[in-house]
Amino acid sequence: MLSYTIKRLIQGLITVWFIATATFLAMHAVPGNPLSGAKAMNVEIRQNLERKYGLNKPVGEQYLIYMGNLARGDLGISFTQKNREVNDIIREHFPVSATLGIMAVVFAALGGALFGALTALNRNKWPDTVIMLAVILGISVPSFVFAAFSQLMVVKINALLGISILPVAGWGTVSHMLLPSLVLGLGTMAYLTRLMRSSMLEIINSDYIRTANAKGLPQTRIFLQHEMRNAILPLVTVLGPSIAGITTGSFVVELVFAIPGLGRYFVQAVQQLDYTVIMGTTVFFGAFLVLMVILVDLLYGLIDPRVRVS
Amino acid sequence: MTAPAPPAKQPPLLTVENLQVEFETYGGTVQAVRGVSFSVEAGKTLAIVGESGCGKSVTVQALMGLVPMPPGRLKSGTAELRGRNILGTSQIDGLDFRGREIGMIFQDPMTSLNPTMTIGRQIAETLEVHLGWSRKKAFARAIELLDMARIPEAAQRAKQYPFEFSGGMLQRAMIAMAIACEPAILIADEPTTALDVTIQAQVLDLLGDLQREHGTAIILITHDLGVVARMADEVAVMYAGQIVERGSVDDIFYRPAHPYTVGLRAAMPSNNPDAEHRLLPIEGSPPDLFSPPAGCAYAARCPHAMRICSTHEPAPFVVGADHYGKCWLHHEKAAGGASMIAAAAAPPEKKS
Repeated sequence: MLSYTIKRLIQGLITVWFIATATFLAMHAVPGNPLSGAKAMNVEIRQNLERKYGLNKPVGEQYLIYMGNLARGDLGISFTQKNREVNDIIREHFPVSATLGIMAVVFAALGGALFGALTALNRNKWPDTVIMLAVILGISVPSFVFAAFSQLMVVKINALLGISILPVAGWGTVSHMLLPSLVLGLGTMAYLTRLMRSSMLEIINSDYIRTANAKGLPQTRIFLQHEMRNAILPLVTVLGPSIAGITTGSFVVELVFAIPGLGRYFVQAVQQLDYTVIMGTTVFFGAFLVLMVILVDLLYGLIDPRVRVS
Repeated sequence: MTAPAPPAKQPPLLTVENLQVEFETYGGTVQAVRGVSFSVEAGKTLAIVGESGCGKSVTVQALMGLVPMPPGRLKSGTAELRGRNILGTSQIDGLDFRGREIGMIFQDPMTSLNPTMTIGRQIAETLEVHLGWSRKKAFARAIELLDMARIPEAAQRAKQYPFEFSGGMLQRAMIAMAIACEPAILIADEPTTALDVTIQAQVLDLLGDLQREHGTAIILITHDLGVVARMADEVAVMYAGQIVERGSVDDIFYRPAHPYTVGLRAAMPSNNPDAEHRLLPIEGSPPDLFSPPAGCAYAARCPHAMRICSTHEPAPFVVGADHYGKCWLHHEKAAGGASMIAAAAAPPEKKS
């Protein structure tokens, strides 16, 4: 188990290095640079700035400097925000995005497992039909539509009741987090529900559930210890990529709900060609996702004994 | 359609009367089991023999409440364990009889155990549920049971998962699980079909030994006459959802009372090096159970079929003590009919 973990971590580091290199090359392939902005700039000032940021050096040398800094954990200083370190931006805004993302993943996983099991147990009856219809909506309607729609609903309900049951936007308390994380997790929840339904259906009809019945076990015990445990395995497998989907998808939701997350800075940085912020956040997100995938794989080993050995 | 009443002995443990099971499908209603009656005595082995699709598995699964309903449906019949109804319910006096009074093992041990639970836990679970034992006590007993089922290093093995076991060991673990609560009856649904021949012998020996030690009655479902000869006391031959012949194992092998039994015997390979006859397959295929024939279901394939066979269903003709065959050849008007069956069954071969 330990050697497996170490192996996965080394693989993860290599992946992150690939991400960093690819981002670096992609950015330098984009025409223009952060200093060729709208402001007409004196040639001398421009050269001074280029010297300051090392942009006058050959690309190869810039790459080496960048990698060296990255290895020390220094992501550099923002080009557009005065004297602001990328590390500071991440430290300040990532916890917000992470909280949002984790809550969304928890919503998605719990909802997916629950609704999926419910549909499978009530196959072709009304709960199945209703939930599967909602699942199609959840998968096909983009999150910004849900975001705007849910805001509208909350406003209407607040107005109707005369009190504010949930804030419509902003960040700070748990009640602020509920709506955006639900909206953010909805698509994944729908996808996981479908997955859980088919997985559960397969297991309900499996030989070992027949054995469990032939042993005379109570239905609740069969459901919890035999069916659920095995049915969630495929869910755990896709949980890693789901975290990726949810975190990248959070940009839109953060914007609609006016949440001070990292996504907003990332989009802004891309628009302004703020090299260091783009590089920093991309590498950081990349590393975060790689870590999540590794964690999920290790978790899978704990749940499924067949993986533990091999 | 009932079996002749056995002479006054102790009453049978399990009595099944006129069991009928149907399946509702898109193509129509399949009459999988069409009036099956049999009884099982304590400590004895009843083998139910027949080809694939004859309803032998459905019969026992219906008793255990394992037939999914819908699409399955119990059309009629009764089943009583020591005089208490068990059909259409999983409980006697509010307690689940499955696992406690009747244990069951299945055809494919590789898929019949939960892949994410240790073998020991799966055995212990039965004891916890039925006897209310603590986890620890039940697990200790599970190790003893595995040992009884001749699994080496049972204490370590109990902590392992099904994927770490071989097929034969899994079937032995299944047996340990099925007998954990010392049930009166063990149903073995083709217990050796998925195993290779040497392992088959080990598993059958184990079943036989456990039966002798605990006095368990066994209902053995199989299509292998070799297994029947080895294990059975009583045999019920099933065809197209009905029992066509019922008798002791010697009756079935030496004095068959139904042409289908004769056909099965002729199709059975022999390990006698002097045997010179060819294996004779039974021509044709079983009837469509969406609309079973009005007369004898075997008539279309029977070499001795008469006119009455395709129009009227034969009654069970008693031909000996506890021995009947559902065949018109035994009717008094079919002169010499019974001797035709006997002639077809010759030359008799040694019991393997």
